[in-house]
Amino acid sequence: MVSHEHAPDLTPDRIAQDGLRSLLVSGPRFFAAARILGALFALGIVGFVLRLRGGFEDRAAWGYYAGLFAFLLATVGSAPMVAIGLRLTKANWRRPLARAAELYLVGGVFLFLLFIPLLYLVPSAQGRRTIWFSWPNAPHLWDAWALAMLVVCGLLVLYASAVPDFASARDSLPGGLRQRVFAWLACRWRGRQRQWAVQRGVLVLLGAFYFMLLVLVYTLISSDFAISMVPGWRDPLFPTYQALVGLQAGVATVILTMYLLRRIGYQEYLGVGPFWSLAKILLALSLLWFYFWFSGLIVLWYGRQPVEQNILKLLWYGPYLPLFLLTAVLNFVGPLLVLMWNPLRRSVVGPAIASGMILVGTFLDRIRFFVAAFSVEETGVALEHVPPAHLPDGIDMMIVVGGIAGALFIYLMATRVIPIMAIWELREGLLLRARATVVRLEAIVLGKPS
Amino acid sequence: MEARERLTEAQINEDLLGPTLRTPRWFWPVAGFLALVVLAGVVSFGLMINRGLGLTGLDRPVMWGALITTFVFWVGISHAGVMISSILRLAQAEWRRPVTRAAELLTVFALSTAAIFPLIHVGRPWRLLYWFLPYDFPRMVWPNVRSPLIWDPAAIFTYLSGASLFVFVALLPDFALARDRTRGWRHRLYSVLSLGFRGSLRQWKLQAIAGILLSALILPVFVSVHSIVSWDFAVAMSVDGWHATIFAPYFVIGAVHSGVAAVVTVMALMLWLFGWKRYIRPEHFDSLGKLELAVGIGWFYFFFLEVVFGLYGLGGPDLAMKQMQLTQWPWSLLFGIFIVTAAFIPIPLWMFRRVRRSILAMFLVSISVNIGMWFERFLIIVPGLARKQPFAFSWGTYSPRPVELIIVAASFALVLLGLLLFTRLFPPIPIYDMKEGQVLHQDLQVGRRRVPGIVRE
Repeated sequence: MVSHEHAPDLTPDRIAQDGLRSLLVSGPRFFAAARILGALFALGIVGFVLRLRGGFEDRAAWGYYAGLFAFLLATVGSAPMVAIGLRLTKANWRRPLARAAELYLVGGVFLFLLFIPLLYLVPSAQGRRTIWFSWPNAPHLWDAWALAMLVVCGLLVLYASAVPDFASARDSLPGGLRQRVFAWLACRWRGRQRQWAVQRGVLVLLGAFYFMLLVLVYTLISSDFAISMVPGWRDPLFPTYQALVGLQAGVATVILTMYLLRRIGYQEYLGVGPFWSLAKILLALSLLWFYFWFSGLIVLWYGRQPVEQNILKLLWYGPYLPLFLLTAVLNFVGPLLVLMWNPLRRSVVGPAIASGMILVGTFLDRIRFFVAAFSVEETGVALEHVPPAHLPDGIDMMIVVGGIAGALFIYLMATRVIPIMAIWELREGLLLRARATVVRLEAIVLGKPS
Repeated sequence: MEARERLTEAQINEDLLGPTLRTPRWFWPVAGFLALVVLAGVVSFGLMINRGLGLTGLDRPVMWGALITTFVFWVGISHAGVMISSILRLAQAEWRRPVTRAAELLTVFALSTAAIFPLIHVGRPWRLLYWFLPYDFPRMVWPNVRSPLIWDPAAIFTYLSGASLFVFVALLPDFALARDRTRGWRHRLYSVLSLGFRGSLRQWKLQAIAGILLSALILPVFVSVHSIVSWDFAVAMSVDGWHATIFAPYFVIGAVHSGVAAVVTVMALMLWLFGWKRYIRPEHFDSLGKLELAVGIGWFYFFFLEVVFGLYGLGGPDLAMKQMQLTQWPWSLLFGIFIVTAAFIPIPLWMFRRVRRSILAMFLVSISVNIGMWFERFLIIVPGLARKQPFAFSWGTYSPRPVELIIVAASFALVLLGLLLFTRLFPPIPIYDMKEGQVLHQDLQVGRRRVPGIVRE
């Protein structure tokens, strides 16, 4: 059996040293990546300003922007769920990957900033078919409030998780400005029993709360910015489908991040074990992708109602058919063909390939739904006319590339403040791990405190 | 995980095989009572065949009532077994060990009971042949294979065969154990069933691989069964409120919600009846409670979406349907009972560790969930059919009659009787799995604390 754990010759000091490396050492590759991502981010800002000059009247022009927001919500917003979920279930193999996953929480602020222009594009819920039923200030105030809660909750989770590591950084630095910053961030953390108990309680409670808020935000975004934009589209499964694809993309994002971390020297921590374990989850989510898609389609297809036929035409087999086919291949068929084989699942490359496909597929999926929904100009109770495909222009491409680069740039900068490996969690893993002889076999025993 | 008592193999054999090889005093009175209730159900069914469906409360336009509700309910209950067993095995969750067999058995008996209900419901069971034979042989008019009603039996029997095979493979080492400790007819029975299992390395390996493969293969079947049951309703355009895309996953997660609760009920009964305190401990109920909490919140989310998007149209038949369910007597009362017993009581209570670790509280809450889930299915089926629709000119309403109620009660007795009789022949807790748990359980010294640990490599 492949070990789910990190290499056995690691010591607490070695873990601290490796964990703090991302804070203290900046290689040429870091600066190169920062320069490239920064430049692309700046390009995206230029694209955004150009789009802004056109105003908010032409909603279709903002379709790709909405798709980008939904894609970043699926990746930046959902990737931390890998750390939160595995922590809630006390999975030991989470330790080397938890921080890489939860560090995406810093992107929450960027997500919120991206969201603000979208509020100008969605009409009020008054007199329209929405899930708000003419609730005052809906959906603008409440959607923004839910997303803000998600961002704040995420930042608190990240901070609670990083406090012991700030203390490690404070204690390992000789002095100077950085030491004082980390001392301030560590907030008098001394590792007392009570401090650990509070930290664990906060992580569990806020983690569970983050998950619920994330599902709420998916529900609101998919119903207010997609379903209610298209007359006659009434699909209670769609928010859950969006949440599911989001989780799939979140796991894929973490796998690709782990793959990159291995390339920059963390292979001793990120063995095949975590890839194998995450690949199983990814396979299950890919199968669920098919199930959710099919469950939605079969009911609409059997219905044979004219209003539903136009919805199917708009979203599946009409102008966006190539995007749908690509999504089906990249989110389901491709990952299934790769991950169904254990030798591939139990490798580094197999899950990374599947994850790459899923991220591209998720992007196309978001584009398909949100661009299609934003391109509908009709109001009323049924979609009478299916608009043609809205193709991206140069500004859309600048915004999309710049937006993705911006999220990565923020992540990269965050690694300079928060260790990319959760030092305390890895050290705890060492304590809860021992060698033992079971019958005639040498084995690892993992402690599972209640 | 908690520090737990070390048990020898002989102790485990004695404790877990004992009730199978020696009849407890309470057994025959309880089995006799359950058999009487089943008999009452059989008599009621006989009456229904003799006198016709007029004995039931079914009347146009409500032609699906308590019997179809109970069919959906038992299919739902059957879901937890394989889900718990497969997922926990694949995830290597340690607390699964005393839970899995009871859960798998619940699948087999609940599904077998569910399969009887369409037969009873049609009133003329021999007409069930039309499910797969042509209506009209000379003209070869076949049933419409595009109808989910045709897929139902295939899905149910695939699931039943898979689940039975799953239980059988997991029972092999225990059959061998029982074979080596019995004489006479029992010895002969266990010899045949154990298929020559001697505990060689190769046999253990094959048994483990078969278990893992069946675990992985049965999961899609488990999902498909209740999805198909949901499509019996959802693909129909004729009934308002049924045509919703969310029905398949909503039914599946609802089934898991009620099924896991049923597993808790069975676990508590096993603990009280057989006195297995050393095997079924509060930590198992705690884990099941956490699982129930997650499933319950997930189910409530789907329920919420189903209601919100039912009202979404702001008019028309769907809104009227929801109004009928929520505000019109007696459906409003049933809705109140449903939402309180399936969601408002259990979900908040499961958040408390003290409740999750109290066996009595978990038992009562699990019963509450299943009362609510039965009403949930009833509220989906009956008001939808009872609502006034165009081109229907007969307006009966529906309330279940004694014949139906007796048959529904008999179905509960049948499942319990099946489980009880099973325990007379086979151990309801996997003995080999418990022994493996003992071997793999090792304590770790961390500072001044002793932490329970598990061997993983």
